[in-house]
Amino acid sequence: MMRTFRESVVLWGRLMRKIVRVKLLLFFALFQPLLFLLLFSQVFNRLDQLPGFAYDSYLQFLVPSIIALTALNSAFQSGIGMVTDIEDGLLDKFLIAPIRRSSILFGKVMADATRMAMQALVIVGVSLLMGARFETGVLGVGMMIVLAACFGIAWAGLSNVIALRTGNGELTMMIGILITFPVLFLSTSFMPSALLPSWLDTVATFNPITYIVEAVRALVNTGWDWDAIGKAFGVTAGLAVVTFTAATAAFRKVIS
Amino acid sequence: MPLIEVSELVKIYPGDVQAVNDITFSVEEGEIFGFLGPNGAGKTTTIRILVTLLAPTSGRAVVDGIDVMTNPEEVRKRVGYAAQFIGVDDDLTANENLVLQARLHGLSKTEAGKRSNDLLEILQLTDAAHRRAGTFSGGMRRRLDLGQALAHDPRVLFLDEPTTGLDPQNRRALWTYLRELNERGVTIFLTTQYLEEADALTRRLAIIDQGVIAVEGTPQALKDDLGGDAITVTLAAGMDGSEVDRVAGLIGQYSDAGTARTYDGAVRVFTRDAASRLADVVRALDSAGVHVARLEVSEPTLDDVFLRHTGAKMRVEEVKQRSRMMSARKPR
Repeated sequence: MMRTFRESVVLWGRLMRKIVRVKLLLFFALFQPLLFLLLFSQVFNRLDQLPGFAYDSYLQFLVPSIIALTALNSAFQSGIGMVTDIEDGLLDKFLIAPIRRSSILFGKVMADATRMAMQALVIVGVSLLMGARFETGVLGVGMMIVLAACFGIAWAGLSNVIALRTGNGELTMMIGILITFPVLFLSTSFMPSALLPSWLDTVATFNPITYIVEAVRALVNTGWDWDAIGKAFGVTAGLAVVTFTAATAAFRKVIS
Repeated sequence: MPLIEVSELVKIYPGDVQAVNDITFSVEEGEIFGFLGPNGAGKTTTIRILVTLLAPTSGRAVVDGIDVMTNPEEVRKRVGYAAQFIGVDDDLTANENLVLQARLHGLSKTEAGKRSNDLLEILQLTDAAHRRAGTFSGGMRRRLDLGQALAHDPRVLFLDEPTTGLDPQNRRALWTYLRELNERGVTIFLTTQYLEEADALTRRLAIIDQGVIAVEGTPQALKDDLGGDAITVTLAAGMDGSEVDRVAGLIGQYSDAGTARTYDGAVRVFTRDAASRLADVVRALDSAGVHVARLEVSEPTLDDVFLRHTGAKMRVEEVKQRSRMMSARKPR
């Protein structure tokens, strides 16, 4: 256990160093969510005047969605990074080291989670500047970040499955975009449940994003909704089991 | 006891592609042992089995007394591996790449830093220690990659075509490093498709072609086995196969083996007494009215050895870096 942790930390350190080292990548990783935050909050600004819109402002409503969207995008970087490491021969370097195979995975997951947490934190900071209020305070923000990172990791499992199966970074990126947008729009991310067409509202209840967004939304706007938080973690755990089982199988196939 | 012992090793990839077909060999401690063969001969497959990255279909491979199949982790502690395609992280500095590799092999932060400094010095990369590897030249990247393979001071170093893609100057420099390493006690197993590299570097080599070891020995012994110096008669352009055969018949008797070898419009005899035999060959050709383009006496080369044991000229082709996802699934 200690050993896996030590090995994972070494590999985590490498990935973190890369994030910080490639300044432009860091910039865009943080800038992209802010761009979405600014664009969506301006374009849909007047939605708060619709009857049935129960939030103080569209920004209050939107912040959780941007956190989720960012986690989804960030997750796809994970798979692309995996393909790059394989193509650059770096995975081989890790495989011939006397370390546990699982450490390679854990190190990666830890780095993904760190990146996602950083992104979520920046979104929270900027939305504060834009006038958003966080009902549950610092602890609530902490919970949001943990939720976003956990969900991001579960989703990163999916991106790794696609990346390992296709063996192609570009293709992974394209499939990622293709999946991300419908998944986001077929949820309560951009429109409250009450205002969605009824068929879409039904679809949204089967969409894992809805649960994450709703839990974070409660933390931002109303308070500690343990029922929503519980569901969000439950959905995340279920998703993670599925994606990581598939990712591990795909990983084994590539390294055997 | 040999440091590396391979017996009846077979690797068949999905789709019934037989990459390694029952090979047996061993490498003694302190040797530089080489696999010489063209692309697709089974060199990379063998090396990847030995460094535990690939499971054989059958057979046994033992490194330092440890079976690669049953105890891969112990094998990994003892071997260093530099793949044909360089594996360095371009975003990290030379020092960071080396420290990472040392840390993965269990060295503490301090030890790893010290080890990295030593390696940078040995590989003459000290000045570039804190530059990103992405800015390095081909030769520097090779050296850094070699340094990574040495990070944990392994007993055996496995090098898959270590000089492919290097210019002659860098190639020679790398040979010097490898010899120095060997003198420090590191056993080296390398693969190459360069005859002169096998000749210059290895103490013993095996010629491998189509998954089979054709012959094995010291470079000198293999050349001596051919039977002395070579007299090569190259016929004028445009001569057909029957003319080549006719010439082979004419001069075959002057070979110590009693027959001549033919290839690519040339006929060759090996003899321990080339100086006097040359006159006989010239007379025979002259009286038969053969149009000769060139006549040459040379010491036998590994090229000749390769030709004799595989029936073909050694063909060198450099493969471009391609997706490892593909190479991980398909044989090379």
